[in-house]
Amino acid sequence: MTDKTDRKAAVRVRPKEEFNFFQDQRVRSAFYQILTAGIVGWMVWYLISNTAHNLEVRGMNTGFSFINATAGFDTDFKLIEYKPGIGTYGDIFIIGALNTLLISFLSIIVSTVLGFIIGVLRLSSNWLVAKVALAYVEVFRNVPLLIQIVFWYIGVFSLLPVVKKSLDLSFGAERVILNNRGLYFSTPIPGDLFWMTLVALAVAVIGAIIYRRRARQRQDASGEQTKTLLPSLAAIIILPLVVYFATDMPLEWDIPTLQGFNYVGGTSVPPAFLALLVALSIYHAAHIAESVRAGILSVNRGQSDAAMAIGLKPGKVMGLVIIPQAMPAIVPPLISNWMNTVKNSSLAIAIGYSDIVSLFMQTALNQAGYAVEMVGMTMAFYMFISLTISFFLNIYNKRVQLVER
Amino acid sequence: MAIIKATKTPARPEPLSETSVLGWLRKNLFSSAFNTVLTVFTIYVIYLTVSGVYVWGYADATFVAETRRECYGNSLTGACWAGVIDWLDNIFYGRYPRDELWRINFGGLLLAFWMAPLWIARAKGKVLVGASVVVFYPFLAGYLFSGGDKGLFMQVMVSGAIVAFVINMANAIVGILKQESIAQFIIKRLGQANKADKKQRNLLIGLVAVGFGAAYLWQSSWTVEFVTWTKWGGLFLTLVISGIGIASALPGGIILALGRRSKLPVLRVLSTGFIEIFRSVPLITVLFMATTMFPLFMREGFVLNNLVLVIIAVVLFNACYMAETVRAGLQAIPKGQAEGAHTIGLGYWGTMGLIIMPQALKHMIPNIVGSFIGLLKDTTLVSIIGLFDILGMLRSISKDVPWLGLHKEPLIFGAILFFIICFAMSKYSRHLEVKLSAGSNH
Repeated sequence: MTDKTDRKAAVRVRPKEEFNFFQDQRVRSAFYQILTAGIVGWMVWYLISNTAHNLEVRGMNTGFSFINATAGFDTDFKLIEYKPGIGTYGDIFIIGALNTLLISFLSIIVSTVLGFIIGVLRLSSNWLVAKVALAYVEVFRNVPLLIQIVFWYIGVFSLLPVVKKSLDLSFGAERVILNNRGLYFSTPIPGDLFWMTLVALAVAVIGAIIYRRRARQRQDASGEQTKTLLPSLAAIIILPLVVYFATDMPLEWDIPTLQGFNYVGGTSVPPAFLALLVALSIYHAAHIAESVRAGILSVNRGQSDAAMAIGLKPGKVMGLVIIPQAMPAIVPPLISNWMNTVKNSSLAIAIGYSDIVSLFMQTALNQAGYAVEMVGMTMAFYMFISLTISFFLNIYNKRVQLVER
Repeated sequence: MAIIKATKTPARPEPLSETSVLGWLRKNLFSSAFNTVLTVFTIYVIYLTVSGVYVWGYADATFVAETRRECYGNSLTGACWAGVIDWLDNIFYGRYPRDELWRINFGGLLLAFWMAPLWIARAKGKVLVGASVVVFYPFLAGYLFSGGDKGLFMQVMVSGAIVAFVINMANAIVGILKQESIAQFIIKRLGQANKADKKQRNLLIGLVAVGFGAAYLWQSSWTVEFVTWTKWGGLFLTLVISGIGIASALPGGIILALGRRSKLPVLRVLSTGFIEIFRSVPLITVLFMATTMFPLFMREGFVLNNLVLVIIAVVLFNACYMAETVRAGLQAIPKGQAEGAHTIGLGYWGTMGLIIMPQALKHMIPNIVGSFIGLLKDTTLVSIIGLFDILGMLRSISKDVPWLGLHKEPLIFGAILFFIICFAMSKYSRHLEVKLSAGSNH
């Protein structure tokens, strides 16, 4: 900087702040905010008044009285007692919500397990295995989920053998039966004394946890390692079994049997359920595999080098060193994937599985015609799920951040 | 402690070279007994899959037949591609009149030529090219596809599009030959290079105005036949919906993201609420709402066709997802960038538009392209609410009398088509990411 500009800067006096109405920060921000609020408020008012007017003109029903009105249609898959003509629209809402939750829950479990396996295989040292995992990810990620769902439904599960030629998946025991009407499997019916077996199981699990804790304490104190897996597994399996046989096997099986043209008894799920489960699991596993891979790659290479240097086996390097450190990077995308699974389960409507959208927002709406309320309730259901999941995600993120410090 | 041996330990054998084929195989496929088993097992699985697909899809498949029965007569175990081939026009164009298909092809070609300069290194003014595509092309293509009588607004926009396209092409050619923009070229040719900026600008505006007049006269001399939107379908409809979605989701997402990060509480709360509501519900519920509830929201007599409603729903839905992507990109930009921009005297829009946003968008290219791919795939959902997009067409093959019950082959064909498009897009985004980050120093 030259002397000349230096002197100039020294002489310059800070101008007195003048209040300029159009340039003032606060005035401008207030103006913009009032403007936006006004426009949005006007739009909302416009929509609501139009809707109210239209509902009145068309003589459409409003209010939530329909929840207690009886519904006259049946559904092929339900988790609660329901009979058409007796059950209410409230029951229909609950059936749909439970069906959505069930399919999402099962898909989430399968896709997460499968996704972790494929994500790890993507990084396998075996070139061929890594490439096969890559092909899996690319193929299933780049084909629309809806096409996959329809394909599994029409191209696979509807083409299964007819009832008379059902496939027996339990190797001749006739306990698990698959045909083009769905999957039938036997369900246990607990007898009078079955609670004792459950108590034995609980005792065994608690015992195993205490044993494990002891072993951990001993390792911390003396460095001695104790085998925990085998003894705990043995206890958890053997103790309930002993009690079960001692109380004279208080468990009966409801076995699906062929009566006339269909299987009766046991539990059955329709082909649409199976197709949706398979398609959602495979599709989301591909996405989860990518986030698992990215998470693992985000762990510094030095970590696995160091773990191998202290003599850990490859499986333990992964399980004890890499995966735990990768978790903070894996969990957020994993959970957003879970949310997507819940949302994507609404594609059930394309193949007629009775989830909340196809049962409540489609069939019930067409029958009863409370459009605004029913769409609102369905959306509120999804929002509730999303908010609940992101609430737990936030808790996890906070915990991870604290641990990091 | 010392270890003493009487005999010298023999030298270990030279390790296998890892660069030879044998060394590579050994390292990557047969490094241990377990790996060998795994490799052999995988090869067996691949063999089963590939041979099964080959026999079903090619060796035993029927490519020429009149009906599905004929396919069965040829082979019971093979695919019946004849049905798909018979329906190819429907799959690509829907029920668009067969004599008018050239309009769709021409529209596609026009877009390809219009966007081509973006990939030509020597062409100038890439931002203008991109902006002209977004502003003008939709109107030209919209008229080309739907046809009918042009209203005054449509006439103006079509003329504008024609002028923009011609200028764009001339600019690209001049750019390739002389590596300068069309404006510089014309001014030099007319010997005006030494004149004042203002005079040059007036000259150019005059030329554009003359061009516009000529284009207006020319376009008013022809019309194309009206084709109602219900005849649109197939891959064409899918691309129209997703194309409009892609073109408007990014600007919409940027606005929402800026709103969510705004210092003004009202804007922030409204944007956040809007984004979160749309992100927490499935697309299919939004589509249902658009088609069944929208008429309730509007004044009586205000009717929009389902295609427009679906497009509005897709745009709003994807803008909210894009907003979160953009927001993640904004968060990744260090605070010093904004502070630096303020120091050199840039205001909010200058800081955002010139400093922050370009970096953020560059950062998020893979995610943005990922959203685009998701949008393209999600467009198949419109078949559920009764539009005959590509999936709707693929599913109606099985209802066509000669091909009754032909489900698998059309769906697999659609899957392959989508795979090619989406895979190419994601590969290209990875290439773009590498290319753009090559110039940066971090």
